[in-house]
Amino acid sequence: MAYKGSERMSIEERDYMQYLFGKHISQGQVTYLRTAHMDVYERNRKGATFTDAVSGKRFYDCFSSAGSFNCGRGNEAVIDALSDALDTYDMGSHLLLSENKVRFAVKLASLCPGDLNKVVLCATGSDACAAALKLAKGATGRNDVINMLRGYHGLQGFSLSANGKDYYKELFVPLMPGFHVVPINDLEAVRRVASRNIAAILLEPTLGEGGIHPATQEYMNGLRQICDEHGIMLIFDEVQTGFGRTGALWAMEQYGVIPDIMFTAKSAGGGVYVNGAVVYREIEPLVSYVEANPLFHTSHSGGTDLGCVVTGAVLDYIVENKVWENVATAGRRFKEGLEQIARENSDIVKEVRSFGLMIGIEYKYEFIAAIMSDCLAKQGLWAVFSANSPQVMRFQLTTAISQEDVDGILSGIRAAVKEMRIYLMLLLPLAKVPMIRKVLQNTKYQIKAGNWMRNLEEFGNRLFPRRAAPRRPRPLRAAFQRLRMRAGSTPSIVRK
Amino acid sequence: MANVITKSAAKPNDVFQEARKVFSASYVEMLREKGHDFLEQGGAGSFLSDSEGTRYLDCYTSAGTFNLGRRNESIKVSFKKALYETDQGNIVMPSDYKSMLARRLSEFVPGNLDCVFYGVTRGDSMEAACKLARGFTARPEFVTVEGGLYGEDSFALSLSERSGKEQFGGLIPGVKTVPFGDVDAARKAITSRTAAFIMEPIQAENHCRMADSGYYRQIRSLCDASGAKLVFDETQSGFGRTGTKFFFEQLGVMPDILIIGEAMTGGMFPMTAMVFTAELKHFFDIHPLIHVCTFGGHDLGCVVAMAALDEYDRLGPWDNAADLGVGLMKDLSALAAKHAGKIISVAGKGLLVSIKLATEDLAKKFCSSARQGGVLVNTGRVDTTTVLIRPSLLIGTEEIGRMVIVITKTLEEI
Repeated sequence: MAYKGSERMSIEERDYMQYLFGKHISQGQVTYLRTAHMDVYERNRKGATFTDAVSGKRFYDCFSSAGSFNCGRGNEAVIDALSDALDTYDMGSHLLLSENKVRFAVKLASLCPGDLNKVVLCATGSDACAAALKLAKGATGRNDVINMLRGYHGLQGFSLSANGKDYYKELFVPLMPGFHVVPINDLEAVRRVASRNIAAILLEPTLGEGGIHPATQEYMNGLRQICDEHGIMLIFDEVQTGFGRTGALWAMEQYGVIPDIMFTAKSAGGGVYVNGAVVYREIEPLVSYVEANPLFHTSHSGGTDLGCVVTGAVLDYIVENKVWENVATAGRRFKEGLEQIARENSDIVKEVRSFGLMIGIEYKYEFIAAIMSDCLAKQGLWAVFSANSPQVMRFQLTTAISQEDVDGILSGIRAAVKEMRIYLMLLLPLAKVPMIRKVLQNTKYQIKAGNWMRNLEEFGNRLFPRRAAPRRPRPLRAAFQRLRMRAGSTPSIVRK
Repeated sequence: MANVITKSAAKPNDVFQEARKVFSASYVEMLREKGHDFLEQGGAGSFLSDSEGTRYLDCYTSAGTFNLGRRNESIKVSFKKALYETDQGNIVMPSDYKSMLARRLSEFVPGNLDCVFYGVTRGDSMEAACKLARGFTARPEFVTVEGGLYGEDSFALSLSERSGKEQFGGLIPGVKTVPFGDVDAARKAITSRTAAFIMEPIQAENHCRMADSGYYRQIRSLCDASGAKLVFDETQSGFGRTGTKFFFEQLGVMPDILIIGEAMTGGMFPMTAMVFTAELKHFFDIHPLIHVCTFGGHDLGCVVAMAALDEYDRLGPWDNAADLGVGLMKDLSALAAKHAGKIISVAGKGLLVSIKLATEDLAKKFCSSARQGGVLVNTGRVDTTTVLIRPSLLIGTEEIGRMVIVITKTLEEI
């Protein structure tokens, strides 16, 4: 029998799962997520919400695995397509062709603007990023790349080298040479490095992990022009901005600027599988390069038979329902609501930025991020701050989100901000002292403090169980279970 | 067992015409040269089908992915059920699915390789391994052996003997490549700056090259002496392919990091893993979320992998691979002796077997002719004069017999 997560989980079971995660994967990750009440166990994953197996509480999924669930969680059309496909297909054979692969590629290309007619099958965002960079470098015969400060394309060799935050790179150096980092929306900075040595300019139309910074129209026009002048390949990473996220199928359509190469992943998997792709223009030197090197990037798990069926179903759903129309309306309503909240809290909120349903709220202090995640989680909103810009809390809801849900989320944020102000009454005066501020912004101390508070809270919960608790916690039994775990045996409560 | 063959209404020529446009004409030509110019239409058991309903004995198995046959029924049933219960999950969460698969894997993989990082595609896990080795040891260099093939991203490419990689400009610096099987060269290359020694213990794509077990033991002790970590890539040799669960068991040498491939899900879900010792996990403990992958550790993928591991344990396909591998090697060696002009040599272990032909052209012809006989095989990617035989590990003696007949005929034809 394969494992099936039970609808509800006791505290003991949760502790055992966290023990296993800590033992086999990363104890640090468990501790980190506990800090902000983000260690939930997702059940009933449906549409814009899920429930936590431990508390039974319903959460709005404001993260969507960084924008992987654009067609909603548990989308029946996608699931049924995959289920039917399983009666005939598996991953299929790497390097062989199938009707699924070709049909998917043709469909994807037909949904991209202009002469973006050619496809490379890939598996993930970083895999596609590698393919895009290899294509640009191989075709131009140049080495260097211009990428964005705080940009994020993945954490594998190519994408890590193109990461715009040193934190992710410094422990793994030396990485690939020749990446020139520039701030987004600064054309002069690009002009200073642009030359005939540059193979590509790589950017997300809106920096996602970088803190929701949309590129301006002027910037995009300028990049296109610079690329044309120097024979540089313009690459758009549409991994987070694609599949309707910004109010059009692809963000590039909003700008009317066609990149030479674009790539996608995440939502391509429909939340139930894995797929990605590169689409490139039918122009020289790209076409000749690929004709001469048909195997320049052969992604073993990219463009699998099942993956192509799934992405095909996702595209059908997105296009048939014109999800971008709802994205535009819901995005506007969400942004207006957030701006209202920002105005009311202008002492702590710096600014609200958005592009469709890619919405970020930036605080004036970096240390607020974890506290805000925590306060949001308590309000039933599961949100994650931007990896490359922790002072920005981002909201990436499913594209089918209703107006009522948007309003519900906004009132949750309002309540969370209210609660956060209580913490801030103490912390803000302290943060004025530079040394204390440094301590407050230190993630290590944040995690320690957060866990300490969490332990205190759980201890309190055990002593005075709440009505809503799924089962009466048994402190003695839990302690006993923990002892047995340490002894290496499996508690009887967890059966395979 | 579901063995339905679905015919497609589309004309293959039309689809190939579209493929020429959307991918490249040269790709389709490349397939044609090997006789792979058919449209795959799923598979079942030891066979795959094309769009016209023709069945082929699958001796390619997507480079050693379908170890439990095509579309294993039991995995499929679990997958379908889970599809209505769970999904990908949010990346950063410590989900119970990830936890349970991690426990399951630590039981499945021999020795003290108790920890795991989930990847998606082969190559992903090699990127993770290189980062872990550098991060943990705080050393910049890697030492690897000639003739390897690890993946398509830049750490993996830097280590691989892969034609055309110079087109991509500067890759990851700090890689020293030494001759395979040469202990002295390895001794000189492994220093206090070496983060890891990385190799496939059996180079599947390079005529199944392997060394005597003394070599691996010496590499292990060189690593121990210098503090470098030993990384084995068993993407193709793992999950029973060579007659034991993992090939390293036959060598009596434990790596610190082991890369395992998509055979982990029986080829039903794109998922790979890097498994490693508890000592190395310290790095991920003190740097949580320093390396993540959105599709890695996909909750549905975890269910599929657990179902596949159950099947591996239930069927123990490594025994079948060991038994049938001996017979197959004997038959192929006899054929090699008979066709000495065409076959240079035969090598391999278990059901990972490589036939080295006189020329690259002959290898392509071999593939093409074998397909006419109803057997799908592919050439090696490092040594392109080789043809690899890597069927489902659940293949029967009758099917092996049929395969040998086709190979015999193929050798006469080419």
